[in-house]
Amino acid sequence: MKKIEIPLEENLGHGHLACAGCGAAISMRLTLKALGEKTIMVFPASCWSIVPGSWPYSSFRITAIHAGFVTAGATASGVRAALDVRGDLETQVAVWAGDGGTFDIGLQALSGAAERNEDFIYICNDNEGYMNTGTQRSSATPLLAWTTTTPVMQPKENPKKDIMAIMADHHIPYAATATIAYPEDLIRKLQKAKGIRGTRFIHLFSPCPPGWKMASEQTIKISRLAVRSRIFPLYEIENGRNYTIQEESRIVPVKEYLKLQGRFGHLTEKDIETTQKNVDDTWERLQRRARC
Amino acid sequence: MKRVITGNQAVAYGVILSRVDVISAYPITPQTTIVEELSELIASGRLKTRFLKVESEHSAMAALIGASTGGVRTFTATSSHGLAYMHEMLHWASGARLPIVLVNVNRALGAPWNIWGDQSDSLSQRDTGWIQLYCENNQEVLDTIVQAYRIAERVKLPVMVVLDAFVLSHTSEPVEVPSMEEVDSFLPPFCPDYPIDTQEPRAYSVITTPEYFLEFRYKVQKAMEEVPEVSKKVDDEFRSRFGRGYGAIERYGKEEAEVVLVTSGTVTSTSRMVIRKLNEEGWSVAGLKIKRFRPFPSEEIYRAIKGAKKLAVIDRNLSAGVGGIFAQELRAALYPKEERLPVFGFVSGLGGRDITPELIEEAIQYTVEHPRPEEEILWLGLKK
Amino acid sequence: MSKQLTFKSASEMPMISVSLGDMEWNKTGAWRTQRPFYEDKTPPCSAACPAGNDIVAFIQKIAKEDFEGAWNIIKEENPFPGVCGRVCFHPCESKCNRGPFDEPIAIHALERFVADFGSCLSRKTGKAGEKRKEKVAIIGSGPAGMSCAFHLARLHYDVTVFESFSLAGGMLRMGIPSYRLPKDILNREISDIEALGVEIRTGVSLGEDLRLEDLKDYQAVFISTGAHRSRGLRIPGEKEKGVLSGLDLLKKINLSKRVKLGDKIAVIGGGNTAMDVARSVIRLGKKATILYRRSREEMPAFEDEILEALEEGVKIRYLVNPIRVGQKDGLKRLECLRMELSEKDESGRRRPVPIPNSNLFIDSDHVVIAAGEEIEASFLPEGLEKKEGIILTRRDGSAGIKGVFAGGDLTSNQRTVAHAIGSGKKAAMAIDCFFKGKDGEEVIIQHLIGEGPSLSIFGYLHPGERLRNSHVVTFEELNMDYFEPAKRQGESKSAVKERIKGFKEVSSTLSEGVALDEAERCFSCGTCNECENCYVFCPDGSILKREELFPHQVDYDYCKGCGICFTECPRGAISLQGEAK
Repeated sequence: MKKIEIPLEENLGHGHLACAGCGAAISMRLTLKALGEKTIMVFPASCWSIVPGSWPYSSFRITAIHAGFVTAGATASGVRAALDVRGDLETQVAVWAGDGGTFDIGLQALSGAAERNEDFIYICNDNEGYMNTGTQRSSATPLLAWTTTTPVMQPKENPKKDIMAIMADHHIPYAATATIAYPEDLIRKLQKAKGIRGTRFIHLFSPCPPGWKMASEQTIKISRLAVRSRIFPLYEIENGRNYTIQEESRIVPVKEYLKLQGRFGHLTEKDIETTQKNVDDTWERLQRRARC
Repeated sequence: MKRVITGNQAVAYGVILSRVDVISAYPITPQTTIVEELSELIASGRLKTRFLKVESEHSAMAALIGASTGGVRTFTATSSHGLAYMHEMLHWASGARLPIVLVNVNRALGAPWNIWGDQSDSLSQRDTGWIQLYCENNQEVLDTIVQAYRIAERVKLPVMVVLDAFVLSHTSEPVEVPSMEEVDSFLPPFCPDYPIDTQEPRAYSVITTPEYFLEFRYKVQKAMEEVPEVSKKVDDEFRSRFGRGYGAIERYGKEEAEVVLVTSGTVTSTSRMVIRKLNEEGWSVAGLKIKRFRPFPSEEIYRAIKGAKKLAVIDRNLSAGVGGIFAQELRAALYPKEERLPVFGFVSGLGGRDITPELIEEAIQYTVEHPRPEEEILWLGLKK
Repeated sequence: MSKQLTFKSASEMPMISVSLGDMEWNKTGAWRTQRPFYEDKTPPCSAACPAGNDIVAFIQKIAKEDFEGAWNIIKEENPFPGVCGRVCFHPCESKCNRGPFDEPIAIHALERFVADFGSCLSRKTGKAGEKRKEKVAIIGSGPAGMSCAFHLARLHYDVTVFESFSLAGGMLRMGIPSYRLPKDILNREISDIEALGVEIRTGVSLGEDLRLEDLKDYQAVFISTGAHRSRGLRIPGEKEKGVLSGLDLLKKINLSKRVKLGDKIAVIGGGNTAMDVARSVIRLGKKATILYRRSREEMPAFEDEILEALEEGVKIRYLVNPIRVGQKDGLKRLECLRMELSEKDESGRRRPVPIPNSNLFIDSDHVVIAAGEEIEASFLPEGLEKKEGIILTRRDGSAGIKGVFAGGDLTSNQRTVAHAIGSGKKAAMAIDCFFKGKDGEEVIIQHLIGEGPSLSIFGYLHPGERLRNSHVVTFEELNMDYFEPAKRQGESKSAVKERIKGFKEVSSTLSEGVALDEAERCFSCGTCNECENCYVFCPDGSILKREELFPHQVDYDYCKGCGICFTECPRGAISLQGEAK
């Protein structure tokens, strides 16, 4: 087996407040390794309003700017503009927003920034719900999942929004999906993004042990199963048009992924079939787009 | 150099002269000609400013928060719904102590839909921690913008410069436009207290628990309390350099008058004319222009109305359920004082209706004739 | 270490909520309810290795291209990697956890690769330092005796090995044809042992030239005289001229003595000796037919041996049982009965039963009987107890007379090189304990690999080193997410045409590239190989890359005990236990 090679630089310090087994903490640690210290990261409200610690502390070893929930795309545009005016073209501006801050409330600001092709890396840390506020549904919550606002008697009725397609159709230079079970792929994509100018979008999939009702030691396993079951395929889109799919050689039925998570505990065999069909359709659509 | 320009052009000149680094704005009538003018200036290369043409006012303010945190001078302009949409971010800007300057062209908020002058938009933002400065004419607009940056960057609070829709924004007046060099010597470059430095990384606007939040808000209030002195110094210096000054308030008309008419914005100009005429006719009436609404110039007003018996306020705004907002503020300001003068609260001109000399005279006359107002809200020009 | 900051007045605070310190003061380790820790466990290969090789450790050294390191690791346990890499029946491979995934690691081929690499090294073993005063005599220079001598020499004893033949090596030299085990390989490994100061006296037979009483200068004796007597068939005619013992024939061939044989040779038996005989005969330009009373499935010879024999033109007749050796026209005429298989016997194989009146006759120039070997007990000193064909020993190899130990084929029916090597090692440890007044049995139990009976001397020689615990890692305990199917690499074999021309070695040593590929396939069960998964996936940055006993350390100040490192360790080298309340 090949040894995983990642940068040794640690830009997320100890003592942070992420839950045990937090997928996003792994995502953050790896992301900051890839981006390096010459980074200014903009944070709209999310778990990451809390995780790094409260004033007067922060466990970040990079510059972090907390921003309004709605505003990630806009705030980052402003930070970038300031750096440009100051002649600092080297420092990377990045955004770290949750799925709520991206798919829902922040979509307008993101869309505006992407249309203007603002020069920053936008990272959507997707844990498929409003986890910081106690697991409410977002438009990133998957079909039939339980959340506190989609109780098991009436689980989420709609499939997840296809944010990657939305971003691709903004014709931004780079968009990619990534997840922590594939750390080298994740880091490669971030490093590739670093070398491009304009709006770069990384859809980062981070399992949430309390929100998904899963065991904390399963975080990586579930991240991997998400890819293997094609719940969350890994791919890149360049200039909104050129697709590269990182195909997994070991494909598993979506059931393998669902069964490890309590949020899908209420699913009947028929529900699982429905989910599988939804996943198959989404996969087919992705392939169609990739072929075009 | 004297130019005949609209209020919105005066805004643009103010922005150029203040060497703004980043502008972010979204179009809304009657602000649009500001962003058009600035776009033209940037496109022609005369203005070296980044203009982020964002998709909403909310984003406009957010972008400036980002840019200002990044340590550069920032500007935006908006009106009405746009300002209301920014509301959340207005709080953020002051809490983050960012010296952003915003021009608001006063306009009514729907429904019903209306694009004309009304102060309800800016006055709705009175609790956001912004300094608010209201302008009477296009010269004052330009001068106030330049002053606003000096004040904002000194006390680390954002400033809202307010002018009336159409009456100023789209009306041309002769304006003395100072030279770049003159303004440069008045307005030094912006130096942030906490500049971003990736070599010494920091987190900004970190979540703050109840243990310390109160202290941060206390600091905002303390900064507001510095404004009267700071803005006076700035205004005095401005006056010595440019020969024009405005003060937080301005009293005009008969000295030791019994009735003092309080106005803001362009109504003041009309009132000046009415009061001059009434003074000539022997009325004991004077005028008081309030330029600085936040922080509210209570002390200055108290000194200015010494000897007066009654106050009349014409509010081009309405806080439904209470009345005009200037009247309210005035009543609150006077309450701790020994002499609690009756405040006659007139509401008029909402949604851009003209406040004519006749209406102003009517208000004064009513005030003179009544010992106390018969109603909390005195509607001026209302079709009853 | 950062400190907590407190502010007594607003004036001490900055204007805005910018961070002023880090969170290192916040010891999130206090949240932990379960604790991960590094712990080497026993891989199934080592547990299955009768010689007690630390297989994972040497393969991991290969993977790091540290071939000398690999050689040193093997030599800690086993002085015969070149021999074992070629002729061991490699039970390690049948227990390899890679088996259920795709194919087992070619452990024997890797061992051979390392051994052959080792031949390029200067003799690192060297002399074993100042000797202790005690002397040990070893009777028999086969793998058991030489293994015992090797380890005793490393324990600083003065060792003399007595060998009845003119050359050392025992069955390795006499019983194994050189196309399987070239003599230079054997010579090299024996001379490595001699280089430690071991003296070998050849041409000295126990019983004839040497009696126990003659060994008074030696405070301990290890008897490993092997099992050299061919077992007969107990059928009429088997003592007649033209009927040979398989082992005798092999000895002659292996000692390059002239052998006069006819053209057609019938070989009776289904074990490795039968194969060795048949294939040797083929190499002498004769025709060989093996007669075996059961079917192919029950044949005890190694599968590879059978396949190679068939490739080389050996004929095998199954389900035939000789009942008489006769004569016809100057040829030997074997009368046989056809057999059929009935229910399973105690060995788990189906029992052959004769088919009545199925007599058939097979003619050949010579008949070779290769139906197993037994021990020669006649010359053994009195006081040794013999039972069911072997000498009885206690768990530590002691044999009933004070200071006398025994091992190898003499004491076991599991007559393999690896078992012999293991028994020699065990005796060496027991003899050391005997001299030092320690309880040998207890020491041996302490150094069993997994549940035993395989034994490691490493911990005994190097107290304080990182050791494995006895838990044998199962396939289910591994995380297959990190492994891709990969073809097993094996040695290449020379063409049959070339093979049968002589006694040149049939298979060749792996090339470096192939060995690296094969070593890469190893799961490294229960042994950290610094794959970095734990470090990469820790949400709390609590895996420190700080080499102490293990290459990584858990930072318990901050580890929240999520268990991800435990789950994502591909090889079960991390354990998780509940945190004390």
